[in-house]
Amino acid sequence: METIGTLSVTQSLLIAIWVACVMSRWLGGGATLTLRFSPLMTGLVVGVVMGNVSQAMIVTAALQLIYMGVFSPGGSMPSEPAIAAAIAVPVALLGNLDPELAIPVAVPVGMLGSYLYQFRFFLNTFIGKYTDKAVEEMNDAGIRHSIITLPTLASFALFVPLVFVALYFGAPRIAEFITALEGTPVIHILDVLGGGLAAIGIATTVYVIGRKDYLVFFFLAYFMSVSFKPLGIGMVTYAIFGTIIAVVYTMAATKGGNASADSGVAASDDDYDDGF
Amino acid sequence: MSKNVNRAVAAPEEITVQDVTKAYLRWHFANEIPHSFDRYLACSLLYALMPVLKKLYKDKDALQAAYQRQLLFFNTQLTWGGGVITGLMSSMEAERAREEYEGVEIAMTDDLMYNTKAGLMGALAGIGDAIDSGTVQYIFIAIAVPWAEQGNPLGALFPFICFATYQVAVGLFFARQSFAMGRSATSLMGSSGVQTAIDTLSVLGLFMMGILAGQYVKVSSSLAFEISGKPFVMQEILDKIIPGILPLTVVMGVYMFYNKKGLNVTKALLWLTLVLTVLAGIGIL
Repeated sequence: METIGTLSVTQSLLIAIWVACVMSRWLGGGATLTLRFSPLMTGLVVGVVMGNVSQAMIVTAALQLIYMGVFSPGGSMPSEPAIAAAIAVPVALLGNLDPELAIPVAVPVGMLGSYLYQFRFFLNTFIGKYTDKAVEEMNDAGIRHSIITLPTLASFALFVPLVFVALYFGAPRIAEFITALEGTPVIHILDVLGGGLAAIGIATTVYVIGRKDYLVFFFLAYFMSVSFKPLGIGMVTYAIFGTIIAVVYTMAATKGGNASADSGVAASDDDYDDGF
Repeated sequence: MSKNVNRAVAAPEEITVQDVTKAYLRWHFANEIPHSFDRYLACSLLYALMPVLKKLYKDKDALQAAYQRQLLFFNTQLTWGGGVITGLMSSMEAERAREEYEGVEIAMTDDLMYNTKAGLMGALAGIGDAIDSGTVQYIFIAIAVPWAEQGNPLGALFPFICFATYQVAVGLFFARQSFAMGRSATSLMGSSGVQTAIDTLSVLGLFMMGILAGQYVKVSSSLAFEISGKPFVMQEILDKIIPGILPLTVVMGVYMFYNKKGLNVTKALLWLTLVLTVLAGIGIL
């Protein structure tokens, strides 16, 4: 049996700090949105830290497919792709695994990660009392610290040790376990999951856009992309097609009376509330 | 409050587009950092507006009241909701400060400000999430995934840089626009220009989801056996009837689940994992 490598203390720590930078939402503020929703950048960081960018990107691409379309309507998310990638990509690299074998690591880790993220809100709820106190005293530095510094530190205290332990002690064990799955029927199931789970994010977006009357455009695009597959049309080209179709449609709708234009806001309002 | 008392306090400074830009960028940075269970993103909005409020309220008690006013429950999406509301609150607070300073009857009441905020935050978050995070983000990602699959780091850098830049631009646009419009920004969502933009983006969003589904949802049947010497391959038959019927069934299945049970993504994820595992395990998929 081939030996499975380990991560050094420095490597584990660097990846753990990256996760904390993203999950505390501190690294560039709003820029962390896509760092959190997509595993891609975390996969790249893991690749740089472990000195194997190319293989890390290949594994991360397989993970991106199961998280295609994932975002957090109303602030809740079933899974944390960045945390999932931070554990699953190192495991795949250590065990020299096929990309799809990262999926059974990523899915449970991502779900556990969403509980951690919720726990962050819990910590911040306490820190909020300091904000009230600082406003009471009109202490500007205090307000700033209670809104930025303390929540960031709390998240670092939450994520760095847990991710470090998971990587330094856990990753080689998980890799050993997953390697044993190679060549078993489990691989087939993972292939199916890897191809099918993208449906979740896409269906969520369709639902949140909330325009049943526009579903025809979804079907149009779906059958276009299935039928035109042999032509190898790129995503940019499809986006251009989509924009033209959308503009032509709204032009025609505005010219021919604007009856269709009034349900959008109310519908999306409802959907948003469902997310809580 | 007598006019004399008010005159003892310095006049509010004028709020410029630079101030609003700064307020938005502060919001964009603080955004999710202090997210809590009780007030959600209220602390971030206060953090965003602090410099604006300091320019407006030279009286300590009035400033404190303004801080507390912007510290009430608040939750919305980063760019659409956050942009419009930081711009709008800057303009409404400026009006309030003027009224307080001049000692006229307060028309810009706390209730009016909060109701405006609360009325917009949900609606804007819904559309903002669907368009920004749901659609634009995944257009960039879908462009980049093939690069990532070849092991190219651009597959990660390209969508990150493009989307992060896009968000700052969109947020600043909404903040400046709604500040310029002032109170009439509350009717922003109803105006025909914005309504047309939302319709166009909704069509584009649904279109791109259809493309993504066609390209990235891969479900096929592995069912194959022989009937009296003739091979029977399920997927070939399905392809002859309607190409791509299985992935579409899965996506629409999840969509129907949401229509019936509400938007519970975790439940949908668990159910779909279970169903796919079983079907793959018994050899149908």
